[in-house]
Amino acid sequence: MPQKPDWLEPMFPWRQHSLIVNGRRMSYVDEGPRDGRPVILCSGNPTWGFLYRDFIGPLTAAGYRAIAPDWIGAGYSDHPRVDAALTLAHHVADFVSLLDQLDLRGFVVVGQDWGGPQGVGGALQRIERLSGLVLMNTWLFTGLVGRFHASPKPWTTWHAPLIGQFFMKRHKVLSQHGPSATTARGMSDDEARAYHHVFDEPDSDHVVLTWPRTIPMREGDRGWADMQAIERRLPELSQIPTLLLWAPGDEVFSIEYANRMKELLPHAEGPIEFDRARHFLQDDRGPDLALAIVTFLDRSFVGGRK
Amino acid sequence: MKPEFIQPSPEELALLRPDPLLVEQELDMRPEFAERLAAATVGAGRVYWRSRHDHLYALELGDFGRGRPSAASVYGHWDRFEPRPPEHEIDADLLDFCLWLAETGGLNPSDVAKVAQFAGIKTVWPEGSVLRTPEERFANIPGFPYEPKYVDMEGLRMAYVEAGEGNPILMLHGEPTWGYLYRRMIPTLAKVGRVIVPDLIGFGRSDKPVAANAYSYKAHCRWIRAFISALDLRNLTLVCQDWGGLIGLRVLSQMPDRFARLVAMNTGISDGRGATPAFEKWRRFSQRAEMLDIPALMRSTLTKRKITDEEANSYQAPYPGKEYQMAALVFPRLVPNRPDHPGAYDNKLAIEKLSALTLPVFLPWGDQDAITAPAERVLRKIFRNSAPPHAIQGAGHFVQEDAGEELAESIMAWLRTPHAAGK
Repeated sequence: MPQKPDWLEPMFPWRQHSLIVNGRRMSYVDEGPRDGRPVILCSGNPTWGFLYRDFIGPLTAAGYRAIAPDWIGAGYSDHPRVDAALTLAHHVADFVSLLDQLDLRGFVVVGQDWGGPQGVGGALQRIERLSGLVLMNTWLFTGLVGRFHASPKPWTTWHAPLIGQFFMKRHKVLSQHGPSATTARGMSDDEARAYHHVFDEPDSDHVVLTWPRTIPMREGDRGWADMQAIERRLPELSQIPTLLLWAPGDEVFSIEYANRMKELLPHAEGPIEFDRARHFLQDDRGPDLALAIVTFLDRSFVGGRK
Repeated sequence: MKPEFIQPSPEELALLRPDPLLVEQELDMRPEFAERLAAATVGAGRVYWRSRHDHLYALELGDFGRGRPSAASVYGHWDRFEPRPPEHEIDADLLDFCLWLAETGGLNPSDVAKVAQFAGIKTVWPEGSVLRTPEERFANIPGFPYEPKYVDMEGLRMAYVEAGEGNPILMLHGEPTWGYLYRRMIPTLAKVGRVIVPDLIGFGRSDKPVAANAYSYKAHCRWIRAFISALDLRNLTLVCQDWGGLIGLRVLSQMPDRFARLVAMNTGISDGRGATPAFEKWRRFSQRAEMLDIPALMRSTLTKRKITDEEANSYQAPYPGKEYQMAALVFPRLVPNRPDHPGAYDNKLAIEKLSALTLPVFLPWGDQDAITAPAERVLRKIFRNSAPPHAIQGAGHFVQEDAGEELAESIMAWLRTPHAAGK
């Protein structure tokens, strides 16, 4: 696993642990009391555990065990150079392997962007051990294609065949200009660097291209069958305390997605809306979201107890 | 050895996740190698085979207008959303494949084997990944005087006890017990045959891999098949309950020639439908427990008989700590309880094969078991000419413990009937 650079320490002081999932090294932050209820913070494309830096302190202070994994291909995890190793099914299986190896029980999944399908897909495989769910600007279903995902400017052009290589790989439009380009509050240079530096190595950014190509827009798409397999099982979550937190200012997952999520998970609380935030709401409104989550968890489980 | 190429059904492939294991983009740097490979795999495209670990692999050859394969990938196919099997199993399978590849492509397979050895590639369980319960834990097991014997398979030691002589009677226990469960039946049945009672891998005196992904429905079946082959058991009477049936019935469908008759109690073979609320409750409970208190579980599940403390504690003997208990912890989630559950598809195939069998079947059933009550009807549908229903009155899920002697006697009585003789 690469060494964390010194300049990152003040912003992200937690130790990166790692284990092998499906033959690849996955890194993760694991803070808080061992007997605290595990809260797994799942990030999406093209971010890593750093996105949740404002959550780890409040969660551990409230007695929860905060676990922020970097999905395979991102952050300090391995960055495989083979597209076929980076499907949604792979990411879900990787997440399940993490659950198994850390032997987590009574865990809570917090997911945004691809962290939603990955986290929920994995949790469904270990549904007996799932205790709670927090979903932010994500989706778990097919059939709703937002304007952003359907629009050629810039999205579908950015990952079109060969053209995608030009934008994503040669010009690194996401891996070097992702979160920093969509920040609502204005990100410092060091923060932008924290997101981008994990893709500095040549050819380390396969995932920023495979994830967009996995978005299930029509039947037969790369992620269609996997997303449908997850969607079919959503009724199993009806007994799981669920909270929806949403940034309506997100051009990717508009409030329409939250409404659809609410239809599929009618027992969920929310959506609670957060303004002054765009797609990466954890970065724009971190402390506020962390507070909302801790309040929800405390209410659902009476303190951090399992 | 040449892999036997097969064409899996689209239905099975849809449940699996292809995982690229070997990716070769310069296959045409040795044209003669590429051509031989293409010839051996019936031209470019995709061929599938099952390894000795029962894993499904595919070789895909790409032809980029060169007129011969110029790229190749080998994929493993695992249950779609589940972690893949232990790495040493994959290494062993890939090495098998590479040895064949060498021969096919004009290299010397023994060179490949030597190089793999030189590279330190291990195809056995890594050190520390398998636990063995210390002998002294079994020093004080009442009513189970049989000397354990052992069979080695895939680097694991499977324990069994045996008594009597004649045609073999194989008794398979389930979750979360071990061969001890059958102790009250062994003396009776040993009068008419050679009773063989193995402990499933992860249970009893058998070895216990510590990783969750070591245990799968397929692996348990493979281990039992290896056990049957190692002892070269034929003309078998299979006696099974709970997971002993899930495994035993699937194994019966895979090697039917070895079996002469079947006795199944309080078990089933699920194609993903019909999970009972009682089972769902157990599944949830078991997945939340840090460590299963099996003595307490036995006490609360037995409906007919009170067991002594020594007897109850014998069920915990194999587990000095929770790290020994992974097999028991994993079992409940391996039960196919949805049509798209890994295992449901395999069971569907098994049920088709079982339905075509004509062997004599006896289904004595503990009638106080909410978990497997509906499964009796399902088994009667699969085995249409099974003996008339026979309830073990008042007995619950662990019918061998609740009413072992009575159950053994009823099996003896059935064995004396023309039905059991296949007439």
